[in-house]
Amino acid sequence: MANALRFLIVDDFSTMRRIVRNLLKESGFTDADEAEDGVAALHKLRNSKFDFVVTDINMPNMNGFQLLGEIKADEKLKHLPVLMVTAEARKEDIVAAAQGGAAGYIVKPFTKATLEEKVTLIIKKAGL
Amino acid sequence: MEMSTASDTLAPTEPDLHQKIGLLTRQLHDSLNELGYADQLRSTVGELPDAQSRLSYIARLTGEAAEKVLTRVEQAKVQHDHLATEAKRMREVLVRDPVAAVATGAIMNFLEDVSQIAQAADEHLTEIMMAQDFHDLTGQVIARVVALAATIEAQLVQLVIQTAPPHVVVPTVEAKTPHLSGPVVNPEATSDVVTDQSQVDDLLASLGF
Repeated sequence: MANALRFLIVDDFSTMRRIVRNLLKESGFTDADEAEDGVAALHKLRNSKFDFVVTDINMPNMNGFQLLGEIKADEKLKHLPVLMVTAEARKEDIVAAAQGGAAGYIVKPFTKATLEEKVTLIIKKAGL
Repeated sequence: MEMSTASDTLAPTEPDLHQKIGLLTRQLHDSLNELGYADQLRSTVGELPDAQSRLSYIARLTGEAAEKVLTRVEQAKVQHDHLATEAKRMREVLVRDPVAAVATGAIMNFLEDVSQIAQAADEHLTEIMMAQDFHDLTGQVIARVVALAATIEAQLVQLVIQTAPPHVVVPTVEAKTPHLSGPVVNPEATSDVVTDQSQVDDLLASLGF
């Protein structure tokens, strides 16, 4: 069941983590945890079970591209869909994310409808 | 031999002043070139208009966020006032004649109003929440402007180090250069960026995603 999925929201800005968390909750996805950068996210992913990752790109310590690379290189994590939610709007970044295995890409600022649509689509494609 | 007066020293005539400034500028220009800093400083100065755009972007984004929140609050307050007035009126109707209140549909209409206004309030709250995304976007832009200021500072400090007398110790400062672009503050000026989600979707679709 979709709303039983567990999300990990990764962003260095706590306001954005709260916004995404609240939007997911409004869409029926109530189980979510947060991480402030790629390093913290990887630690949580390797020590707990998650079904879906929503990550920013521009973060300190480990950015979203590096996190995506780590996830896709990890046998135990590579199945996880990763949705990039970022202010990075260069076409080369979007292409790089897609080629790196991201399941979706949303540019900030975004709407509730956009997030809901992408998450639903990714869940459907991934058969979750 | 002419004696120089205090007024000559403290307040040079205008042509003298211009001449001295011109001389200093020439010396600075030559020094920068000799030390190899001219190109670096030119490059940094070239980023200043970009910093100006970024600060304008911050002002615009925070202004829009404040407008959005105030508009939603104003709309919600009107609806809330309407609800409060209707609740008071409905109470009077019910006390006067409960049967008529139900029979005429007044109660049902009121409940329908409550339901609609509750839904509208939820939408207002969501929009007010979404307006807070300016914190993330402006935060990233501020970080880049701060990085630019640090670069300028580092270059100026380096210049001071190179030109300072041997006995003067000047602390060094390392500038951080971000490699990610952050929010696009001036999309019209660049062709390699997307400006909305539909362009992202089109690009991904063209790649087979």
